[in-house]
Amino acid sequence: MGSSASTIRPTQLPDLELFWPTHIDELIEHIKGGAKLLAGGTDLLLQARNQGQPQKLAWIGNIESMHNFAEQDEQWQVGAGISLGKLISNAAFRRAAPAIVDAAQLVGSVQIRNQATLLGNICSASPAGDTLPALLVHEAEVETAKSHSLLLDDFLIAPGQTALAPGDILLSVSLRGLRANEISCYYRHTERKALDLAVASVAIRLSFEDDGCTIAAARIALGAVGPTAMLAKQAAESLVGQPLTKKSIANCATIAAEICNPISDFRASADYRRLLIRVLVGDVINQIEKRVQLLP
Amino acid sequence: MNTRLILHINGNEHSLPDAWHGRRLLDYLRHELSLMSVKEGCGEGDCGACTVLVDGEPMCSCLLLGGVLANRSIVTVEGLSDDHRQRFAQLCEQHGGLQCGFCTSGFTMMSAWLAEGGSETGQNSSDKLLAGNICRCGVYQQLKKVIADLL
Ligand code: FES
Ligand code: FES
Repeated sequence: MGSSASTIRPTQLPDLELFWPTHIDELIEHIKGGAKLLAGGTDLLLQARNQGQPQKLAWIGNIESMHNFAEQDEQWQVGAGISLGKLISNAAFRRAAPAIVDAAQLVGSVQIRNQATLLGNICSASPAGDTLPALLVHEAEVETAKSHSLLLDDFLIAPGQTALAPGDILLSVSLRGLRANEISCYYRHTERKALDLAVASVAIRLSFEDDGCTIAAARIALGAVGPTAMLAKQAAESLVGQPLTKKSIANCATIAAEICNPISDFRASADYRRLLIRVLVGDVINQIEKRVQLLP
Repeated sequence: MNTRLILHINGNEHSLPDAWHGRRLLDYLRHELSLMSVKEGCGEGDCGACTVLVDGEPMCSCLLLGGVLANRSIVTVEGLSDDHRQRFAQLCEQHGGLQCGFCTSGFTMMSAWLAEGGSETGQNSSDKLLAGNICRCGVYQQLKKVIADLL
């Protein structure tokens, strides 16, 4: 290493022990041995730097099955090794899951998106995690090594906490792509335009009847207004069976604002967050109406 | 375990010494290979001063371990064409796109990526794509002109 070691400042990353498993079983052995699963590393390496933990990392880049990214019958499978950049740059995925792409494009910067993974965003289980509400409206299910698949809604438990058992690992997430007459969208409020976290966010998926205006089905999810991203079922149901009108949208927005469960912190008060939800629901539905007009 | 890792850096093959497997690419480039264009600003993925191209895509070298880059191609400012560097420098001079110069390497790498047609969706604005590069001197408006002229 020559003179380099002495010039490294103490704020830098401590030396880490790195493993390169090529199979899931091998990876799990490393996890049992105290290693953490390393995918994109944008969160994990910061933890290692700021908290001195973890010290051992098992990188999944050499495990082929972790790089699954494919569609079958409108179900998309996204492996743990897939970066947000890969999702965004895939034209078919952009058509199949607009809300998720909206959200992914708001995470970090180009550089970060090329490194950070979708499954990393899920594992972090931040209440403000951008992709989570979007994944919820696309009926995401996660697959872990030990359990069968689990609804994302059940997987997210509390801030930073998931249903992942110790020693288990997340393999992939599957989500339902849009069908004919469907559109989804995600939008958030932030204080700054980039590199910021959502103060409140909304994802909506609407299915229209063949008449092109009556709502056949709806899914609405809210972010940063509860311990986890959450589905707003009553708000979604209120839209079904009627066309979108000023009144029906306002009613839906009111319900969403009522059932969310925000806290006050240094970024916004609970009341302000509720108000934001009300506004964002309207904004997202407007955006969906614009997108519907662009449909072929 | 197979630990002989080859990195392609600015067109040259480097066999990554074991001691660097679990350390940052940023430190390897800067301290071991003396590629001084690669700067550390925040060390947390926020500022973009450490941006390098990995297989043609911009990434933060402060958040990459050497050991995950086997067989990947890495380009720093030193590895860009003279042509691109000169044009970028000229335009910076013309528009005042440079104050202290700390952010310049990162912006140079992003400009090289954009000049090669870099984009996420084929239609996003370069403003948005430069959101991960922070200039503490605030020459954003000038750099915007530099990039616009370059493309
Ligand atoms: S030093 Fe890498 S992004 Fe700031
Ligand atoms: S010129 Fe000083 S940081 Fe950009």
